[in-house]
Amino acid sequence: MLEISDLKVSYDGTEILAGIDLDLLRGDSLAIIGESGAGKTTLGLALMGLLDGRTSGRIHLDGKDVLSLDGKERRKMRGKDMAMVFQNVEDALDPLMTVSDQIEEAISAHREKGGPEDVRDRVRRLFKSVGLEEEKGESYPHQLSGGEKQRVLIAMALANDPQVLILDEPTASLDAVTKAEITKLLRERIREKICLVITHDISTAAKLTEKMAVLYAGRIIEMGETTGLLENPRHPYTRGLIRSSPNMTTTKDLQGIPGRMVHGVAGCPFSDRCTQKIDRCSKEVPQLSDAGDRMIACHRGGIIPLLEISKVKTCFGDFVAVNGVDLTLYEGETIALVGESGSGKTTLAKTVIGLFDQEEGEIRLEGEVLVKRNREFYKKVQMIYQNPKESISHRMNVLDAVTEPLEVQKVGSPAERIAIVKRVLEEVELSSDDAFLKKYPHQISGGEAQRVAIARSLVLNPKLLIADEPTSALDASVQAKILKLLLNLQEKRGLSILFITHDIAIARKVSDRLAVMLKGKIVEEGPASDVTTSPVHPYTMRLLEVAPDLAPTREARETRGGLWGVSEGRPLRAREL
Amino acid sequence: MQDLEMRHLESPKVGWDYQKATARLTSLVRRGAFFSNYVIAFTIILTLNFVLPRMMPGDPLQAIYGEEALLAMTPQLETELIARLSLDQSMSQQFVAYILALASGDLGHSYYYNQQVLAVILDFLPWTLLLTGTALVISTLLGFVLGIESGYRRGRRLDKTLLAGLMFLNGFPDFFMGIVLLLVFGVVFGMVPLSGALTPYSGLEGFPLVLDILHHLLAPLAALVLVRVTSAYLLTRNTMITTLKENFVLTARAKGCSEGQIKYRHAGRNSLLPVVTATGLMIPHMITGALFVEIVFSYPGVGWLLYNSLLTRDYPLIQGILLMVTLAVLVTNLLVDLLYSKLDPRVSHAR
Repeated sequence: MLEISDLKVSYDGTEILAGIDLDLLRGDSLAIIGESGAGKTTLGLALMGLLDGRTSGRIHLDGKDVLSLDGKERRKMRGKDMAMVFQNVEDALDPLMTVSDQIEEAISAHREKGGPEDVRDRVRRLFKSVGLEEEKGESYPHQLSGGEKQRVLIAMALANDPQVLILDEPTASLDAVTKAEITKLLRERIREKICLVITHDISTAAKLTEKMAVLYAGRIIEMGETTGLLENPRHPYTRGLIRSSPNMTTTKDLQGIPGRMVHGVAGCPFSDRCTQKIDRCSKEVPQLSDAGDRMIACHRGGIIPLLEISKVKTCFGDFVAVNGVDLTLYEGETIALVGESGSGKTTLAKTVIGLFDQEEGEIRLEGEVLVKRNREFYKKVQMIYQNPKESISHRMNVLDAVTEPLEVQKVGSPAERIAIVKRVLEEVELSSDDAFLKKYPHQISGGEAQRVAIARSLVLNPKLLIADEPTSALDASVQAKILKLLLNLQEKRGLSILFITHDIAIARKVSDRLAVMLKGKIVEEGPASDVTTSPVHPYTMRLLEVAPDLAPTREARETRGGLWGVSEGRPLRAREL
Repeated sequence: MQDLEMRHLESPKVGWDYQKATARLTSLVRRGAFFSNYVIAFTIILTLNFVLPRMMPGDPLQAIYGEEALLAMTPQLETELIARLSLDQSMSQQFVAYILALASGDLGHSYYYNQQVLAVILDFLPWTLLLTGTALVISTLLGFVLGIESGYRRGRRLDKTLLAGLMFLNGFPDFFMGIVLLLVFGVVFGMVPLSGALTPYSGLEGFPLVLDILHHLLAPLAALVLVRVTSAYLLTRNTMITTLKENFVLTARAKGCSEGQIKYRHAGRNSLLPVVTATGLMIPHMITGALFVEIVFSYPGVGWLLYNSLLTRDYPLIQGILLMVTLAVLVTNLLVDLLYSKLDPRVSHAR
């Protein structure tokens, strides 16, 4: 059993690890993920006792206080009780020794008795266990491929059957196929051990571990079961990491995390980059505390639910347009509301923003029930509409249109307002010169008009943007730009977006979650990838069936399943392979 | 389909192995190029060796018999001497004769010693080999070990002391160091003999003789080693510092290797390669250094011989010595090149 408590490491006064607590049992495998510089490798090295910096806290292995051991005893533990595989396989092996000599060395360094025959025999078995041919033992590192070197390193780490195995980026420098092989090998070899997988590669972490801890600037900020954590990240940083890592599971476009990591800040280390921070965040360090299925260190308890719609019902006379809808939108998240016209999407949006009153149910914004929409409410929630030219008054030029919300909310002096307007116009990639400011809606293009509408909605810096078919009136290339813009704004400001569209193909690209609406009800809801790859409701299936596709006919689309089986009749097209 | 694949796989085995043959040829060409460098260098050296002494002012006859002797010398004797020493022949004739003689192992006849040059050199060579050889080995080994220890403890007391101390010693010329040692340990303390390589007419044999030789060797050897150790030391220390940052050192630590294993087997061995190259390059310096040191200690080596032959304008002897020295440098360089590929498996693989 490995117990780590309050482990701190500092170099020249900078804290690289700021109090790590971990308890691991035999058979546990824990992934430590985070950006480079988070202190992941430092943690591994601190456990191994290979650090030059100051280390404090407690590391107990089977009750033995590791940090209190002297240099010699510590050396005896290395490679015997705990072993580490380092990143950069290219230079992790001594270029002047054959690889079997290097493995032999690992064994004989911890061996008091037993002849060279035993050692050689053990090396032979190790080679077999990592899937290497015996003859490779006589090779020098430069004669081996990356994958083979990694196997040698793994064999070396396993040489004395250590209790604790630390893998630092075990697959980082390998190609995809080799990576898969090494991952498979590692999965078999780490059973019955305490294994720490240090990586920035979330997919490797997912394949190797049951538990996952997210490290940020020397602190664990979220920890829990790997599956739960990846499917439903609750710390904004974890979500950012998943959003920025390319994979075959999520369908939303890649998004980054604004800013960069700084060590040793007062308060929550992530607060500078966080889009939902409050005053407390920059003053006080949040402690890792229990939050149901996981541990999380956040003053706001993780990503907050911004908009909670529960059992909302909106009627027009006898006609029930929205019939008991439940939906929660989190901070910095996009939910796409998909459905045909007349399904109640727009009615729901207008109910949220207060253009229609709900008959039943309640809507909460940042936890508070909305009774009356006052001026404060519209500072936080804004809406953009389908037809941009119609949504801007014909009698207002660009400057007037974008300044109006500021005037309504009485923000700043006239000069300040112009400065704000110019900044926002630049943010939506529009020109901010006087000529453009004086233009009227009929003088600008559709794409520009929609940007002006977006600028108008963002000028108050809202938390929630309701976008009702924002791009359906635009041609494809302009649409792509507007969608990218919205995603960038989300990345930068943590904007939550309720994205209403009839086009499931767009929804799939821009949303984290997808809700399918039919006849005033939400019939299916879930992560965009799940809904689009394995739909449950027949209506969703129907939507997917008619979704835009580049294959010429429906018939052609259906044959895509049998990749290589098609040989008669029609020639295969590149895209289908 | 499958059949086609099989045939494709088998084809290289059939008939003349073109690929292997080309590989052998390229390696042969490469090896030829490798040795041709040495041949070219050797030719240039032969030519320079012939031309340079003849460009010096002075005249061998004058040197042999002195200004006064020449006055007493009859014109008849002078002509006879000039003919005997082939001084009447043209430069090109002399050169051809020189090359032909060399080819038959004849380095010429020393005017001064009136003996075959080769025999004269062989008389003195063992002492130089003893002095420079030991100095080279000791300074390299010592520099290497000190460099490893120093680099391993970078920035600590031992490292700082060694670095400052050796840099200081390196600032002196060899002969100055020799003079200081001679004065302090020879004259003031009387701990070492003042000149020579062994006590003359002592009739010592066996082990006492060895001790006597070592006793005489001590001071000149120390002078050379003290000055020369720094370059090996500095190079090892620097290489060691970079090598210690390499990942494989971390791997070695992680598997629980002891300090000594990390220092010498891993970091040290990997730092050795540039040191070996540098040692090869240091040999000419070592020889010039030995020349001065031998003069200071009147050590009967080739350096001392060269000095004497320069004073007497003994052209054949000068040529012979220079030739031997350059040959020694070339041969050691070749040995270093070959040794390098033995030390680093990557080099032999590339070749």
